[in-house]
This record gives sequence, structure tokens and C-alpha cells, in this order.
Amino acid sequence: MRVGASYDAIVIGGGHNGLVSAAYLARAGKKVLVLERRHVLGGAAVTEEVFPGFRFSVCSYVVSLLRPEIIRELDLPRHGLDILPLDGTFTPMPNRDHLWRMSDHARTRREIYRHSPTDAEAYDEYAKAMVEMARFVKPILSMVPPDPFSYDVKGLARLGGLGRRFQRLPRSQQHRLLQLMTMSASDLLDQWFETDVLKATMSASGIIGTFLGVRSPGTAYVLLHHYMGEIDGAFRSWGFSRGGTGAISLAIAGAAREAGVEIRTESPVARIKARGGRATGVVLPNGDEIDADVVLSSADPRVTFERLCEPGALPAAFLRDVGRYKFRGSSGKVNLALDALPDFECRPGPGAHLRGAISISPGVEYMERAYDEAKYGDFSRRPYVDIVIPSLTDPSVAPPGKHVLSCFVQYAPYKLREGTWDEKREAFGDNVIDTLAEYAPNLRSIILHRQVLTPLDMEREWSLSEGNIFQGELSLEQLFFLRPVPGWARYRSPLAGLYLCGSATHPGGGIMGAPGRLAALEVLRDLGRGGVR
Amino acid sequence: MKADVVVIGGGPNGLAAAGLLAKGGLEPIVLERREVVGGAAVTEEFHPGFRASTVAHTAGPLRSKLVAALELHRHGLEWTLPEPRVFAPHPDGRGLRLFGDPARSAAEIARFSPKDAARYPEFHAALGRLCAVLGRLLELTPPDIERLDLRDLFPLAGFGWALRRLGREDGQDLMRWGPMAVADFAQEWFETPLLAAVIAARGIQGMMAGPWSAGTTANLLLQAAAGDGNGAGSTVLVKGGLGALTTALASAARGFGAVIRTGAPVERLLQRDGKVAGVVLAGGEEVEARAVASAVDPQRTLLQMLDPATLDPEDVLRIRNFRTSGMASKVNLALSRLPRFEAARDDASLHGRIHIGPEIDALERAFDEAKYGGISRRPYLDVTIPTLSDPALAPAGRHVLSVYVQYTPYRLKSGSWPERAGEVAEAVLATLEEYAPGLRGLVVGRQVLTPWHLEATYGTTGGHPSHGEPSLDQLFLARPFLGFGRYRTPVPGLYLCSAGTHPGGGVTGGPGANAAREILRDLA
Repeated sequence: MRVGASYDAIVIGGGHNGLVSAAYLARAGKKVLVLERRHVLGGAAVTEEVFPGFRFSVCSYVVSLLRPEIIRELDLPRHGLDILPLDGTFTPMPNRDHLWRMSDHARTRREIYRHSPTDAEAYDEYAKAMVEMARFVKPILSMVPPDPFSYDVKGLARLGGLGRRFQRLPRSQQHRLLQLMTMSASDLLDQWFETDVLKATMSASGIIGTFLGVRSPGTAYVLLHHYMGEIDGAFRSWGFSRGGTGAISLAIAGAAREAGVEIRTESPVARIKARGGRATGVVLPNGDEIDADVVLSSADPRVTFERLCEPGALPAAFLRDVGRYKFRGSSGKVNLALDALPDFECRPGPGAHLRGAISISPGVEYMERAYDEAKYGDFSRRPYVDIVIPSLTDPSVAPPGKHVLSCFVQYAPYKLREGTWDEKREAFGDNVIDTLAEYAPNLRSIILHRQVLTPLDMEREWSLSEGNIFQGELSLEQLFFLRPVPGWARYRSPLAGLYLCGSATHPGGGIMGAPGRLAALEVLRDLGRGGVR
Repeated sequence: MKADVVVIGGGPNGLAAAGLLAKGGLEPIVLERREVVGGAAVTEEFHPGFRASTVAHTAGPLRSKLVAALELHRHGLEWTLPEPRVFAPHPDGRGLRLFGDPARSAAEIARFSPKDAARYPEFHAALGRLCAVLGRLLELTPPDIERLDLRDLFPLAGFGWALRRLGREDGQDLMRWGPMAVADFAQEWFETPLLAAVIAARGIQGMMAGPWSAGTTANLLLQAAAGDGNGAGSTVLVKGGLGALTTALASAARGFGAVIRTGAPVERLLQRDGKVAGVVLAGGEEVEARAVASAVDPQRTLLQMLDPATLDPEDVLRIRNFRTSGMASKVNLALSRLPRFEAARDDASLHGRIHIGPEIDALERAFDEAKYGGISRRPYLDVTIPTLSDPALAPAGRHVLSVYVQYTPYRLKSGSWPERAGEVAEAVLATLEEYAPGLRGLVVGRQVLTPWHLEATYGTTGGHPSHGEPSLDQLFLARPFLGFGRYRTPVPGLYLCSAGTHPGGGVTGGPGANAAREILRDLA
């Protein structure tokens, strides 16, 4: 039965993208309702007190590319957004040496010089080249992907504009851009550097969230992301949010509420209603129906189109393409409540090296072998681990003197060759601890609590299909006008009035907010045209 | 000596270029380092009485327009088009055969999976439609993106129009498939592991990449477009081995007036007043020319034959970074009689390519070892038995087994190729024994050509079968790299026409033909 008022727009999912969409719609005067299945807002950008006194950024743990226009337009600092710098990356090595890159340029240079004088030289050149490339790519993040097969003149002009910008670049930059878009991170870095550990650590950013290895073509372009933050000017490339990543979602929710958005938690949606080829609202699990002119789903395409839409509401060819969309979750999280700080053998005692990211990526071959195991359905015996200890920067997240440590672990393939994740969850957690203990032997003795999240857990708890943290792999054939499926990259779907606004749309995952904003702007365009197309 | 154009290297591309240049009214001279023409498309006696296409064993096929323009059939070229095109045995004793006729292939596939059999005609048709359009791309000179020229723009617009005419569905497929891993591509279509592996193998051939590497579908599509776009891939053998193909090319080129000299190794380019004005042979003889077209790989041409000070230092860095690390070996076996493959119902099944690699993961595992500088213990093999259709290649009743082997990386983690070549033969025999027990006992002679041998004997840097990795960043106008992708170089008078330029490797003559067109534009 129909209950309550009807809305201009209903947003399914109160993750950061859903909330961004809602805020933009409400600011344009629309009456908006956000429905979040869980008891907390934020989706995968969430802070939860997993153990008494210890608050974790359970899933997503660092901020990188939150679009400055969103921070500005939604006035997020006024709603509590406070980004603290994440200073540097510390890579312990098995030979008790280490590599420590900091945001202090001169010190990083000295540190790299210690490993290789030519690499120290190349590092500056590399950074310069990357910033140039990032300048070219950045506007694409704020662009609604054109459809090359349409006769949409404006869109094609945008595509042509991109081509012309490329054409005007000096040849050296054209060459680099081409390489960046197609090469593997490791091949690309081989052209610049000789130090194995430096290449391994840098290449790691190319594989995060993908089911690819550092030597897989297509992993190089993610290296750019590190340099995009710098030119945003708003904050450093990587940072913590005070209060965890959940605080970002709460700030966005604050802005949304202020604009008039109604937000309900513990409100799962059972179905998207459709009549006459149009989405007309949602149905709740108890059968209650809520009407709306448009429905935006921040869930991924599989959840949205295969689970929430009624059978027959969508054309078969579209559903076939949705079925081909690749998720392939490849990572897990291990969150630890600690009694004290880990003590790294290669740099004993506390210190600034623990305040940034700690990367277990001692060599390119180590990284690639981790991938090899996952390809055949096993979790990596010696995985790539990216560790942060946010309590050092933001003491509010742990009791005095105690710490929270969060490990992003790759590879943990969603589909296991043998057994299930429910059987292997603890073995996976043990394996991560064993890996870290090789570098910080005191770790085992300081663990108070441990939370292990496998791809299966992420699917169950956050509705991320196959546990993919980006709602679908960021591989070349699933980017830009091909994301999530060809022909439907412009946030719309074959069901009029139903839109996607999550990470499965351009420009993809990470706490960027760009998909949410672009989707809302497209919805407003359609509504402004006097109704939904 | 003097000529209009010196062509360095008498392989299929050098000869194709020379033939077309001569036909276009210029006087080319081909200088081949070895005593025989053919480059990697050559028939040699590798064991007394046994002859084989020692390196490449199937023809691209040669671009049909080229065959027509040079009237190669008048010069003794005879194709053999075997059926089945592919035979893929499985260790469980079952075998899959793919034919030129899609209905016949589908009937074979039905024994494995009715669902795949139903999909196959659609796959065959889709590939055919895309390849018809991509085929046009292969014949284009990549445009100069900085200064778009009407002469380039016109064919490019034609290609763009053909692409759009394909329609939304096919066009989107093409864009999605291009950067995809061929494992995904194959499995999107088919559920039968053996069939998926046969398809996926076409994407990894000649690449230092496994089926799970992105961009391998582009390799498959380009190779398919060079052929007839058949779902089964193309299998084109040449009567007399591939040497007969290059002999025909040479004969045709001579017929149009080209001069061909063998045993004439070029040592360096003759440079005068900032221009390339000919070449200097080992021994000091100079051959002057208005232009030089190098069918030798781009690295050797630009780094060893050209005075390095001629190029912009950034370009020197780029050419050094052009990836030319070989991954394939060739093992040629002389056999006392025809081997028996358990999965083959009859000898006729063995006339085409024999694909060895039962599933995608097996291909990927073969690559895994090579990534770390090891020799695949269970390599991917592409086998032909040319003596079945051309008995003259071996003494009566005896046979030649020609085996293309992947992966054997140019850069080994330990040891050197001359001392480890035997391990490749061993891996090949051990693998083949699983399918054709007793094969080992039939071997009366063998030849192993590793990437090191390919470099040493045939002169390809890194022993790469197509002079450079056909990865996405080294294709089309970026082959070998941006600014050098239009057969011309920044040095006036120097042209590239090897497989290291668009459209790349495979015995197609495509790069040579495209380059000849550009040289004629500039000189004639």
C-alpha cells in the first residue's frame, strides 16, 4: 500500500555518493528521501565502534580525491569535515632496510638517494611528468561521459574537445599519456627507476581494488591519482578524516539535511516500482510503497538491476551487459585494536614513520606472486598490505594510549578455489598477522581485538557485489563511456526515471563523490526539461 | 653502387616494399645480410633431408591486395588451406576441430557443449563484421596527430564511417573488447575450457603476456583482421614452406626491376648533410640512394645503424624503451614417421594447426613461469606437420613437426640460452608425449631456436617475433612510438618498414606495403 507523501526523488543507499546526490537535488529545490539499509550512514565510508572505545574506518580508510567542488558547494567544512594529512609511505624491507617517502620533498629525495642516486634524480622528473598528466586527466573526472555512438552533438563535441586537447600537448606528454593509459604500472616505472622496493611500493597504487597484478597492462594510469590531489590545492593527495571516513559521510549528510533531505536508516528497499516503462518509486520489505518522480540508486548495477528491479522491467540485451560487468572483489580488511604501537625491526620505536601509510610491498616480484596465487583462487600467502594507524593522527578514535590499526589486504579473491570464506576467514586474518609480524614481531602480543572482513563479508554487509570496493573493476573496458555498461554511462538506465549514482558509474570508486554529483546534475537536467526522458 | 631506395633486410616486408617501389617506378635495391632471402619466412634444411619453415610456419596470410599487385601466383606461390584449420587435443583423449565452415565447427563444438555450439555461429559472424572494418585500419598509414593532413584524414574518415556504420552494438563491443583480457573475451562467449583456450591462445601469440593480461584481445582482433576474420582463425600454409613465399616475393620484385643482393650485411647508414643518403656495408662498400627503408627492427635501425647523435635524446630514450623482449621459441623435429595423437580420429585432423593448451589457466601458468625469467615447463604450443600436405619437405614416409613454443623469455633469470636451449626441446617433448605417446621415439633430428638464436641468426632485437611487443601502447600511430608511426623518421631519407611499424607482425607484408606507399608519395 502507498504510505506517506510522495517525493521528487528517492535515493537508495546512504553512502557518500548517495548523500552527495541527495544534497545536490535538495539544493535545487527537490523533495528528496534517502533510504539506507544499515543502521549507520556512510556505506563503505563509515566509522563504527567495532570494539568498545575503538572506532574504525571499517572499509574505506583514506581520503584521496574528494572533489574540491563538492567540498566547496556543499560547504562541508562547516558540517564538520576535517581532513588531516597522511604523511608519507613507509615500506619496511625484509633485509631490515626500509624506504620512507614523505611529503617533505628534500627528505624523500635524500632517502631515495640512499637507495639509488639516479632514482633520486628521476623522482623529481617523474613527479613533474605526472603532475602534467594529471592536469590533462583531471577535468575528465568532472565530465559526464559522452556517448560516441549517439548523435548528441554536445557530447561528441566534448569528446572532440578531449581529442583536441590531446593533440595540442607536446609530443613527450602525448607519449607519456598513451603509456599511462595502457601500460602496466611495473613496466611504466621500469622506464623511470631501478630500485625494486621503490617500484613495488609505487606500483601498489595501480592494483588497489582491481583483480590485476602490477605487471598487468592497464594498471599504470591509477598512478596518476597520487598526483591529482596536489593540483586540487584543497588538501594533500592522501588524508585521514577526523573521526574516520564516516565523518565525511556525516558531513555530507549534514549538508543534505540542511538542504531539506529526509534521511532514514535501517530502511532497506525491497523493489523498485515501475509502471508503463517508468520507475515510480520503491517498495519496502513490509510492502509499503513510496512514490517518487525519479529513483537514484547508489547500489551497484547487479543489485540495482538484477535484484531491485522487477523481472521484465529492463530489456534483455541490457541485462546481458549488466551480467558481463565484472566485479571480482580482490581485497579484504583486517582491523586491529592495539594495546601499544607496532615496533618495526627496521626502524625500532615510535616515530613519524608510523603516522603515514605503512606498505608491505618489498619488491615487484613479491607483488606479482601475490597476484599469481589469487588468479587461481587462493588468497595470497604473502599479500600486499597497506596499513594505517589513524589513532596517531586523530587520538579521538581510540582510548588513551591505545591504537587502531587498519590493514587493507590484497589479494583475497571473492571466488575461492577450495572452501568458503566463512571457513577461511580466520586463516586469512592469521596470515595477515603473520605477514606483518615478519616486520614488526611485537604485533602478535599487542592485539586486543581483531576484525577480519573478507570480500564475502563486504558483499553481505555493504551489498558490494563480489566484495568489489569500487562497485566494479576499474579496468580499461569498464571506464568512462563504458562504465558500467556501454551505452548507459550517463547515469541513466533503460527504465526511465531510474538512475545510478554510485561508484559503478564514471569516474568510479574511492571517496570522490563525483559520481553522486554528476548523476544529480543529470537528473536535474532531465527534470528541468519538463520531465523524465 | 646507386639506387633510388635501399631496402635493408630481405624478409617479407622488405621484399614487399621493394616489389611495390619497383612497380611504382623507383629503382630499389634490397640488401640481405644472410645468404638467403626470407628473413623469418624461410625454408631451411634443419636436418639432412628434412626441410621446414624454420621460424614462422604459417603465413599471416599475406595481404591479398599485395598478392594481387605483385602477381605472386605467377611466381610460383601456392597456398595450402588445410581443413580442419585447428585441431585441439585434450589430455582426456577428446579432440576439438575447427573448420573454415562455421556450421561444421559448431557441429564439432556440440560434442562438448550444445550451448557453445549455438553461440559459435554468432561469434564467427561478429568477428567477421569487426574484422572487415579493422582490416581497413591495417591498410591505413597512421595519421600525424599534430598536423592532420587531408591525405591521411580521408582514409581515416572512411574508417571512422565504417566503424559507425557497424552500428551501436558492434561498435561498443569493439571498444570494450580492445583493451580486454582475452581470457575474459573467450569466456564471455564460451563455457568449454578447451574452446576458450583455443580462442584465448590467439590473443597471446607473439606477446609477453598471458591470457589474463589486458590488451590481449586487441592482439587477437588484429591478427583476425589480417586474416579472414573466421571464428576458427586462419591457417595458411605455403607449398614448399614459407621460404617459397618469400622466394615468390623476391622473384616478383626482380620482375619489376628491383635488385636483390644477399650476403650483403649493412653496417651503418650513410649520413650526409643531415640526411640519410645510403648505407655502408660491412667491408666498407657504400650504396648511395635517395632514401633508405629499413625492414630491420626499429631498435637495430635507430640505435645501431643510425648515428645516435642524429636523434633527439628523448627519442633515443623512447626507442630504448620500445619493448622487444622475445618470448617464443621454435622447435623443429625430424620424425621417422607420423606421430599418433590419441585424440585425433584420423590423420586428416592433423593437417592444420595443432593447438596444445587445454584450458586458459594452463596458458596463464605457462606465462607465470616466464614472468620471473623461467622457461615454461608446460608451454603453449602451436604445431604444424607441413609434410602432410607437402611431402616433398622430408624423405618419403618421414615427417616434419614444426613447433612454435611459448613462453621462453629472452631474458633468463639464470643461465644463458645457448646452454639451456635443450630444456625447451625437453619441455616440448614432455608436453607432446601427453597427447602423442611415443613421439619421443620418432625423433631423428631436431633444431631449437630460442629468442637468443632468433636474434643471433635472424637479427631481430630481443628475438621478438614481431620486432616489438604488440601491446596497446605500441600499436598503430604509437608503433614503434609516437612520432615514428608513419614509416617516416625525423631524419630525412630514412623510413621504417618492418614489423615494428603498423600493422605489426605476422607474415602479412602489411608494413612493407604501407611504407612503400608513403615512400612513393615522397619520392615518385
